[in-house]
Amino acid sequence: MSEDRSTAESLRSTRTYGQVRCMNPSCMGRITPDPGAPKAKCPRCGSEWRIFWVKPGFPRVKGPVWETSQKLAQEKWAAIQAQAQQKKEEN
Amino acid sequence: MALDRKVAIVNLSTGKIDIKPISLEVRKKFLGGRGLAAYLLYKYVKPGCDPMGPDNAVIFSAGILGGTLASAGSRTDVMCKNPLTGLLGSGNMGGFFAPELRFAGFDHIVVLGKAPKPVYIWVNDGVVEIRDAKNLWGKSVTEAQWAVREELGDPDIKCAVCGPAAEKGVRYANVMTGIKNSNGRGGGGSVMGSKNLKMVAARGTMDIKIAHPMEALEFDKRYIEQITSAKVNQTMGALGTPFIWGATNSWGGLRTNNFQYNQLLYCDEIEPESIDEWSKKSVGEYNMTACFGCQVHCRAKYKIPDTPLARKFGVVGNYDEGPEYTSQGAFCCEPGCTRLDTLLICNHLVDQYGVDNLEIGHMIAWAMELYEEGILTNKDTGGLELRFGNDEALIEMIHQICNRSTPLGNILAEGGIRAAEKIGKNSIKYLVHVKGMGNLHSDERATPGLALNIAVASRGSDHLRSRPAIDLYHLPVDVLRKIYSSPVPYDGPLSSDHTEYIGKPWQVYWHENCYMAVDCLGTCKYHTTFLGATLPNFEDWSKVLYYNTGLEMSPKDIWDVAERCNIVERLFNIREGMKKDDPYKGEILVDRYFNEPARRGAPDVVGKTIDRQKFIEMRAEFYKYRGCDEDGVPKPETLKRLGLENIDKEPSLV
Repeated sequence: MSEDRSTAESLRSTRTYGQVRCMNPSCMGRITPDPGAPKAKCPRCGSEWRIFWVKPGFPRVKGPVWETSQKLAQEKWAAIQAQAQQKKEEN
Repeated sequence: MALDRKVAIVNLSTGKIDIKPISLEVRKKFLGGRGLAAYLLYKYVKPGCDPMGPDNAVIFSAGILGGTLASAGSRTDVMCKNPLTGLLGSGNMGGFFAPELRFAGFDHIVVLGKAPKPVYIWVNDGVVEIRDAKNLWGKSVTEAQWAVREELGDPDIKCAVCGPAAEKGVRYANVMTGIKNSNGRGGGGSVMGSKNLKMVAARGTMDIKIAHPMEALEFDKRYIEQITSAKVNQTMGALGTPFIWGATNSWGGLRTNNFQYNQLLYCDEIEPESIDEWSKKSVGEYNMTACFGCQVHCRAKYKIPDTPLARKFGVVGNYDEGPEYTSQGAFCCEPGCTRLDTLLICNHLVDQYGVDNLEIGHMIAWAMELYEEGILTNKDTGGLELRFGNDEALIEMIHQICNRSTPLGNILAEGGIRAAEKIGKNSIKYLVHVKGMGNLHSDERATPGLALNIAVASRGSDHLRSRPAIDLYHLPVDVLRKIYSSPVPYDGPLSSDHTEYIGKPWQVYWHENCYMAVDCLGTCKYHTTFLGATLPNFEDWSKVLYYNTGLEMSPKDIWDVAERCNIVERLFNIREGMKKDDPYKGEILVDRYFNEPARRGAPDVVGKTIDRQKFIEMRAEFYKYRGCDEDGVPKPETLKRLGLENIDKEPSLV
């Protein structure tokens, strides 16, 4: 079986288990939640995610921790608005 | 043999039925399913015809692997000229209809003309009949199916049926089968309604002889293991397609309040885990079901809960299946609603009316924005407070559109571009569409590859024609290289970053061929490189095809079939008026993608727009790969390479 594996089959070795990806596009780092934990924080970028366990050892991101993600998004939006305003004034 | 199924050409105006074989030459060029349907559409539809008139065709097609030992050979493609867009109309549904059609001896039913009164087509063991549908007309999707089973005395009859929305001439009505399997996006139901055709009912006992049965079964072991061991399919088997919401709503990839935002906040009640919880509570622990020959079981079952809203609309306890990810978009983020009962009720209503969930949700969300902008007033809505987050208004509008029962419902039933012309007041500015078809609920402002995908998708803004969805996984470049360099070599750029522009045109092109191939085979996209990098594609299909049908085709041969069929679809669109920069019929995004920055989601998504110049460059690169000139028109040498240079002149091969 192994000698005629297709490309897709050969990629099975790249699968990871017990981890989720950080959903922040510039990060996408691997996070290993504590077994059964309802939340996990990305050690790389600080984003925080709610976790659902499909089965033991198989976590997935359910959604953001709203308060954290809202704070980050609002800060970014305010910075963009300020930048736009400054550009407008310069022109 | 799996290759001996036939084509029936049914003219409802004259009552004439022609039965034709499919030659091996045709099989090798188009395989079956969507690919051969595209060819039949090109040859049987009168150029420039009124899509709701008798010169249009509606074509029901099973894939070449339908009903075989191949995993999930369940898909039915329905093709026509789309009454919504005036271009290619094509939908694809699971369920059990396609295998049954094949067991009844046919792969394709081409319906022409218009019946003088409601009829249905009965396909049974090599025989095709046109029958009176007076007892079926006016019935809901599920009522009509049970009625025909009772009439013909066989509970195992499978149907491709249209619902009341199609009978009323809604331009985005579906063909449906079973409880909720929907042939959406293509307007096939609308065309059925315009032809007075209520359904195609099929029942068959004609065996499909498998070419190499022992080898097919042996290969199935590893093929199915490849499919079911993928994490994406294990998750889908637990939560259904709504599982995608967990990712897309997390980073801000869902169009919300029409297109004002890109993330639905604090929506825990309609997240997949909550849907699953209610599904189990209402129908029991074994709450997932599947289409023919599938091991993933991605479809949830549910009953509508007893809530004031369900009581008001008289649907407490009604049974349905789903909701799919698309219904979450249509009835949650787009109209800004966060209640589970609303989602379950709306999903049920569209299934019973037989209307496209994405299009109707998109139309109502657009109308909500128009209302909040003061373009639509209480006078237009009959006093309905058509605001974002108004659950009752959302449900009420589904009824009004599907029944065309109010002036506004009647206008919205016409689809976005026609409705915008009637409403005026620059309402078109708020419409998010490609080729006149509403965008699904995804927001592509942060994902250029996906933005290109919706722009060039042959049936209008769409995620199932060329979406490089695995782009969202940030796979390492060496993994991407392995995937995208087979079965044809590619040594151009690739990027793991889904907010980037480089490498995306090739990915879109590759996936367009991948999805066309799987639609010709008639198996499920969730069993291929759609959401999972380790799922089967061309190399694996070559073997499955051979063992089941005896057809010897290399991965590259299958790729070439997909190329050919994609070009036929493109030729059809060009013939019907597609021009690359036409705002209504072109391969271009609406201005909002370029001008309005995303406001929610992960920090790197906030502020994103699509760069217009880079988008144009991506599209030009895509055209180059597709063998087209700078206007997206296939070059003569491309047509010659694919054996299509005489497609306009030659008589139909079928």
